[in-house]
Amino acid sequence: MPFHVISMSIVYYVSLGTYDFVYLHEDSFTSTLNFQLFFLIASLSSLLITPFPSPSSSTSSSSSYQRRWLRSQTTSLENGIIPRRSTDETFSLAEETCSSNPAIVRRKKIAISIIFSLCEKEEAQRNFQDFFFSHFPLFESHMNRLKSAIEKAMISCRKIAESSLRVQFYVSRLMEALGEFRGTIWNLYSVPRIAEPVWLTMMSSTLEKTQLCQRFLKEFTLLIEQINKNQFFAALLTAVLTYHLAWVPTVMPVDHPPIRAFSEKRTSQSVNTLAKTHPYNPLWAQLGDLYGAIGSPVRLTRTVVVGKQKDLVQRILYVLTYFLRCSELQENQLTWSGSHGEGDQVLNGSSITTALERGEVEESEYVVVTVRSEPALLPPLLPPSMAEGRSPRPEGLDVSPEGSDIRDLCSKPDKEGHRRPEQSSQACSMGFQEAGSDSSWKPQGTFCGEEGSEKEVPRDSSSRLSSCEGLGAGAKVSQQTVSEELKGEMPRKLTDRSPAWPCPDRHSWEKPPLEKVTFQIGSSVSPESDLESRTKKMEKRLSACRQYLELPCHPSAKPGMDSDMPQDPQVSRCSFTPGFQNNVHCPQSPSCERDEGESERDFATDRGMKTEAVADAAGQPDQSADSLAPEGRAAGAGTRPLEETRRLHLKAAEGPLMQPVPSRCAQQASGFSGTADVPCGDADRKASFRMEGDIPRNESSDSALGDSDEEACASASLNLEPSDDRTEGSLEVELPLPRSQSISNPNVRNFGRSLLAGYCPTYMPDLVLHGTSSDEKLKQCLVADLVHTVHHPVLDEPIAEAVCIIADTDKWSVQVATSQRKVTDSMKLGQDVLVSSQVSSLLHSILQLYKLHLPADFCIMHLEDRLQEMYLKSKMLSEYLRGHTRVHVKELGVVLGIESNDLPLLTAIASTHSPYVAQILL
Amino acid sequence: MNAIVALCHFCELHGPRTLFCTEVLHAPLPQGAGNGDSPGQGEQAEEEEGGIQMSSRIRAHSPAEGASAESSSPGPKKSDMCEASDSQGVGDVSFLTGGCRSLAAGHPGYISHDKETSIKYVSHQHPNHPQLFSIVRQACVRSLSCEVCPGREGPIFFGDEQHGFVFSHTFFIKDSLARGFQRWYSIIAIMMDRIYLINSWPFLLGKIRGIIDELQGKALKVFEAEQFGCPQRAQRMNTAFTPFLHQRNGNAARSLTSLTSDDNLWACLHTSFAWLLKACGSRLTEKLLEGAPTEDTLVQMEKLADLEEESESWDNSEAEEEEKAPVLPEGAGGRELAKCPTESSLLSDCANWQPRKLSVFKSLRHMRQVLGAPSFRMLAWHVLMGNQVIWKSRDADLVHSAFEVLRTMLPVGCVRIIPYSNQYEEAYRCNFLGLSPHVQIPSHVLSSEFAVVVEAHTAPRSSLHPAGCEDDQSLSKYEFVVTSGSPVAADRVGPTILNKMEAALTNQNLSVGVVDQCLVCLKEEWMNKVKVLFKFTKVDSRPKEDTQKLLSILGASEEDNVKLLKFWMTGLSKTYKSHLMSTVRSPTASEPRN
Repeated sequence: MPFHVISMSIVYYVSLGTYDFVYLHEDSFTSTLNFQLFFLIASLSSLLITPFPSPSSSTSSSSSYQRRWLRSQTTSLENGIIPRRSTDETFSLAEETCSSNPAIVRRKKIAISIIFSLCEKEEAQRNFQDFFFSHFPLFESHMNRLKSAIEKAMISCRKIAESSLRVQFYVSRLMEALGEFRGTIWNLYSVPRIAEPVWLTMMSSTLEKTQLCQRFLKEFTLLIEQINKNQFFAALLTAVLTYHLAWVPTVMPVDHPPIRAFSEKRTSQSVNTLAKTHPYNPLWAQLGDLYGAIGSPVRLTRTVVVGKQKDLVQRILYVLTYFLRCSELQENQLTWSGSHGEGDQVLNGSSITTALERGEVEESEYVVVTVRSEPALLPPLLPPSMAEGRSPRPEGLDVSPEGSDIRDLCSKPDKEGHRRPEQSSQACSMGFQEAGSDSSWKPQGTFCGEEGSEKEVPRDSSSRLSSCEGLGAGAKVSQQTVSEELKGEMPRKLTDRSPAWPCPDRHSWEKPPLEKVTFQIGSSVSPESDLESRTKKMEKRLSACRQYLELPCHPSAKPGMDSDMPQDPQVSRCSFTPGFQNNVHCPQSPSCERDEGESERDFATDRGMKTEAVADAAGQPDQSADSLAPEGRAAGAGTRPLEETRRLHLKAAEGPLMQPVPSRCAQQASGFSGTADVPCGDADRKASFRMEGDIPRNESSDSALGDSDEEACASASLNLEPSDDRTEGSLEVELPLPRSQSISNPNVRNFGRSLLAGYCPTYMPDLVLHGTSSDEKLKQCLVADLVHTVHHPVLDEPIAEAVCIIADTDKWSVQVATSQRKVTDSMKLGQDVLVSSQVSSLLHSILQLYKLHLPADFCIMHLEDRLQEMYLKSKMLSEYLRGHTRVHVKELGVVLGIESNDLPLLTAIASTHSPYVAQILL
Repeated sequence: MNAIVALCHFCELHGPRTLFCTEVLHAPLPQGAGNGDSPGQGEQAEEEEGGIQMSSRIRAHSPAEGASAESSSPGPKKSDMCEASDSQGVGDVSFLTGGCRSLAAGHPGYISHDKETSIKYVSHQHPNHPQLFSIVRQACVRSLSCEVCPGREGPIFFGDEQHGFVFSHTFFIKDSLARGFQRWYSIIAIMMDRIYLINSWPFLLGKIRGIIDELQGKALKVFEAEQFGCPQRAQRMNTAFTPFLHQRNGNAARSLTSLTSDDNLWACLHTSFAWLLKACGSRLTEKLLEGAPTEDTLVQMEKLADLEEESESWDNSEAEEEEKAPVLPEGAGGRELAKCPTESSLLSDCANWQPRKLSVFKSLRHMRQVLGAPSFRMLAWHVLMGNQVIWKSRDADLVHSAFEVLRTMLPVGCVRIIPYSNQYEEAYRCNFLGLSPHVQIPSHVLSSEFAVVVEAHTAPRSSLHPAGCEDDQSLSKYEFVVTSGSPVAADRVGPTILNKMEAALTNQNLSVGVVDQCLVCLKEEWMNKVKVLFKFTKVDSRPKEDTQKLLSILGASEEDNVKLLKFWMTGLSKTYKSHLMSTVRSPTASEPRN
């Protein structure tokens, strides 16, 4: 048993707070076994507040897209909040007699706390927590029920004079309510689910689609044959299609071609785009789809199949999961600069990676063990203004045109940077750990290069490899295989690689390591960030011009990254001949320059050729800052980096090819949108960059060091100028977002998988679809459930009506119970369903086609076509209703093929695309 | 993600303060965002504009508790702030900002653009929007006063519909100079979408805790360095931190930058918060299927693609162009051709000049009125069956409009129009042919039952057409004669679709819009039958008896319906056909059942 609801406590809340709703979760991810959940439901004065008209009740079109867009808008914070309906979380303890005048009612505050005690198994704990958070609306709804029950108990117990009796009564009512709450939650969590809902499975798996179609169609036709003699099945399907309307958007014809196979519908691009540009809660959208709450007025529908024959009920349930449609959810894990795909629950854990590497000089292998943790604080890509704000920049201007040695630039940190032995030995790890320090843009640069490589390797690797002799064939092979086959695992590899970055480079520049085993211990808690490193950092910031100069140098990292493609980056890198290394390691110089001036100097002196390249690179941007931006733009095309790479191989790293890193990254990003890689940079940045070049020192952000007060004032006053639109945003210092990759995992806990249940021991209030053996409990609870659903909608928006479709396979009846109409007949739960002739004819023709041995997937295509016909008919109907003249229903049937029994179905469909239909009919 | 993430601090002097706050700015409207038909949207857009103006005004006047006002006026006011003065001139930027401030005075804030989604992430000390300012302010106060997790460090959720919902995580940062050696902070995420916020709880908790851990780690190092530094370090520390020591009695709050010894902290937090918002917003995505395009849409797209190809080939060989031009299916090229003769005929026919728009058929119903029901039925019959429809008239415009109206009866793929020609074209090239009056039609065509000829003679002025088109003078000057080799027997039932169409056209109570929708429905309905028949006969090559069965299932076993289906089959899109053909080749699909 994964959890118990062990206790509930009710607290009279005394203090004067302003809460309406407080929820506290003391989590137990690590130590304790208790999963506590307090709902503090209290209120002072939030009495009757007129509910804000919700978007759903407005006259807008309620198609899936509109629904999601409006949701995104109503929950937007951008321009202040849109006041929404207030949920009355108040305990109304007032007696009915006084409640007419709420102003004089003194309200007590009461809190309920529920504690879930989780079992010890960690997985079970996590499962429940996932379930809890994803299904929170349902939990909340049951909390509200509990609240109402307590409320009722409190009010009614007052009528009992005898105090002991009163307490007894009160407690027993309370325990009853708690028992029900506990039972409901437990059932909700543990009830058997339909393992493979047809629609969702068809949508996600393409592999066994044919088998799936065959199985579904077999069941479907069986039901048509067996249980449609008295139109039972047609009635059920009519009701389901009428109320669970989410199928309508899936048949609405689109005006763009299908991408691939014809039978596969295409995913809605417009909704995809919306989700990106205006994120909304997909879980909410899915829940609405499932409950069919997409029409107008909004109805919330559930379907219960009652019957003693378990097998039959299960069949019906299975078939209905094709018509009860919703979107499929997937979970994306966005990782920056590549971190794990798996182990996502590790909150602050570090990962240990081991890599076999080939020794640089000796042909032996050693193991590199990398311990690192993913920093949660993302290092910003520092804007160029950072560098511009500092004085050394003019110096660079002087130096570089002369083509002088880079040492002029690099020696400075050496003078100022009091290099310490321990720093040099460990600087490489420090360079990485100092997230947020000057070196922090480095991972980004790394990333950049990798993309370049990934793009280029397949095309260009051979030529490049041939250009650098002595590169091991093994490296070549791995390069290609990795880039092609393991693309999906890129994130993982990036993880492994990025921490290992500086070190091998250093090794290659300096003497090869004596030790065969290199341990790189890196974590956010760096032993280096002590005072020394801090002062050193200050110095580094002083010499920020260097950093600026390094930026343009960085793009040349690409060739280096090519060698990075193999799973083990260092294998190939270390096996390079010196001739290639020049190019390879040139890009890394910035990172190490920063960390250790000496290695840089070594590097500069030892590798004369490279120094040239670096000097060229460094010199170029200083000649004119303005020229940078155009160059950066020019590099956008995929061929450019390639060309550049070649030229680099020729050691012709001329200035024009050099771009400042940030814009480079943006370019790369736009060029490489292959897999799940999301470009984050922005082309606009180039503009701002250029602007900053024109107006230097205006926006130096953290560089108050170089700032005079005037400047601060100047920019402040600039800021305060009443700019008429958001162009003022351009005044803000621009920081690029870190590049991110997303790893998708389809098996997320979602409503589509959890609310389509199987044959349950008893009636359940929340499930969208389930079967049960008897309608005993159903009869007891249904009315209250429907009323509760309307009063406490799980969709966080007002709904007009709660509906329950009850199909009884024992009595062969299909009834629709709603919260609106009181059923006079006590024997009946709801109204009988009118069988739509559209549905009957659909069932008939599918059965006949099946009997004629048409392939299953074709039959399903035909089924979809027929559903589309219904949609088109509803369009026709809505067009007819828009006009003023009316004809007799019989005429409608003759002319338009719409019969009176089709009307409820077709108007319901029409309400999803033409909200006015409902208004006309009402 | 529609959220605001903020870092808050409990200042010993000022109480809860918002230090740093990252907002999300979305593009006003996504491409293709609905049709803007809902009034609500318009209002929102207006509101948004107002909001923007407001925010800029606010910027100028700054209600931000004097925070930004102060920031704009360096001077004596500064001492009032929770800031350490720069008296020693040490020059570290962090010394300039105090515990209650994040960005230095006059710092414009940070912005990040997410190009792909055109979302902007903006960071300031406070939100500019007054309403948001107060929301964040209130959330900040609550997170650092009453809504506190037991133990004072940890996550909590609170909020209401009016002020938004807040996920708050409080934490301590070590500070050797602070009371109790620690300062109290919180990171809060504010949303209006309660459910979304709680759905995101585990994610937010993990990520925010990660950020907190790193902040704490950094601060701990600084703290330890300050507290237990070795003599050499202590010496340097003395020089570095003298200002603080002097001010200790004042308990001036040190900025988080100095507490963590990270000058880029705010840039760093901006990036982290922006990324957090992005990652949280894209954590869950949904896949939503939409319906397949109709056959008409597909065929139209195919034709368009063909046309593009052709126009490309035209560039290459002009000789080919002349040959192909007349055969062109309707479309841009076809219309072009249609216009030329129109123009010339109009020019030549100056005496008879009329406004062009009048001399046309407007709808099927209109045509039915003009031609009269029996003639129209015969014409429609031939149209639906795919027989050649020849219009002879001097007025190419009239012919053109007739074809435009008639074609709506057929699937797009079945329509091959030669709008106006000076010679007879064979039936395989076109089922709609417009001819000038003098063109001779071959006799076999005239006598064929597979062709219908409509001749528009200029009627004498006196005999106005009786069919209630008094307003329609242009058509009244014509007399239409519909002839065919073998007239349709009056008692023949005819294709089902024709009868339905006629019924819809007859019923004046149905508007033109309804009739149009009705035609769409009927066509799709029959195209769906065509699809099945195609699959059955062409792809699977099933025997005749089965086909008969199938036709009766489809309700199309009558001879005329079968004919119609066979003709319409030619209008199926290539996409569809090739799909069916390819699935039949794949082994899994042809796998026998049972």
